[in-house]
Amino acid sequence: MKKILIIEDDEFLQGLEATKIVKSGFTIITAQRGEEAMVKILEPNINIILLDLLLPNFDGYEILKKIRSNEPTKKTPVIVFSNLSDNKDIEKAIDLGANKFMIKSNFSLEELVEQINKLVI
Amino acid sequence: MEDIEKLKIENEKLKKLNTDKSDLISLSAHKLRTSLSALKWTLKMFVNKDLGDINDEQKKYMEKAITSNEKAINLVNYLLTFNHSDDVSIKLNLKQINIVTLVDKIIPLFKGELKNKNINLIFNKTEKSIPYINMDEEMITNVIQNLIENAIKYSLSNSEIFIKITENISNNNIEFSIHDNGIGIKEIDKSKIFNKFFRAPNAIEKENTGSGLGLFTTKNIIEKHNGQIWFESSNKQGTTFFVSLPVNLTL
Repeated sequence: MKKILIIEDDEFLQGLEATKIVKSGFTIITAQRGEEAMVKILEPNINIILLDLLLPNFDGYEILKKIRSNEPTKKTPVIVFSNLSDNKDIEKAIDLGANKFMIKSNFSLEELVEQINKLVI
Repeated sequence: MEDIEKLKIENEKLKKLNTDKSDLISLSAHKLRTSLSALKWTLKMFVNKDLGDINDEQKKYMEKAITSNEKAINLVNYLLTFNHSDDVSIKLNLKQINIVTLVDKIIPLFKGELKNKNINLIFNKTEKSIPYINMDEEMITNVIQNLIENAIKYSLSNSEIFIKITENISNNNIEFSIHDNGIGIKEIDKSKIFNKFFRAPNAIEKENTGSGLGLFTTKNIIEKHNGQIWFESSNKQGTTFFVSLPVNLTL
């Protein structure tokens, strides 16, 4: 079974995402706060990471930097799933190595799952 | 001399105020989107029966709520585009874009709306290849989406919409046009159609949820690209919007 790490600070959104993603056959681990995410990304065998940007303590960019500098997660696909949408945010996330940038309110969970299945390794 | 110093200080204050205002809009939009996403996903789960069976009447109401929620999401998207297009300090993110490919990518997004009203959208492509345009892809995408959305909204059912892209070699511009057979724009409203928050009475009658920001934002974006936007229309006779963009925009 593939493993996904969902980093999302809004508990309700995280619950909805998880419910839908579980149904398509993933094992889920979650983190709500920045410092928690920094630890969880070190867990073994993560196949894909869903990353929110605005988080308490460390923001998504810092977590992304860490993901890309940590040997086991260097090539792990990362979907940035955020409600920020300024060009500067999108560019920064892509520059730091995000594989895809999706604006939450503009996508359904079905479309999210589709992307996850497309990118997962 | 003293006056100039005073003006400089005032100017700095205003710039700061404008930035603060933009930041506030961005932050509010982000918060709004979080709630709207939660609603969107929850309602979809109900409709998809992920949360158990619902009856047809319940489903009908959920679907109406989804449509209404989508309108709010669109409004927030407009607010954000407007926030940037109004900001003189925002730099365009210019890239070489194939506008024909871009339009091809955008049209399928309207499949649902077109089907609902049984509208046939025809994209007339010239055989000749169109040069790439130096433009901000995100902003021009907004423009094209907005014009298609309007054309569908104000079209009658069972009609046709025509999109055309041509090259104007004499001034090195690309012209995009979209023609509908809809309600048209009355003479009296023509001078106000690009005004902020303006909505023509016949448009409100047909579709009461518009923001009045669509064409205002569209014009702002086009002018930022040193382009032009204009239209030909008469009441009940349909409308054609034209957008002209320079191929080699440099800032």
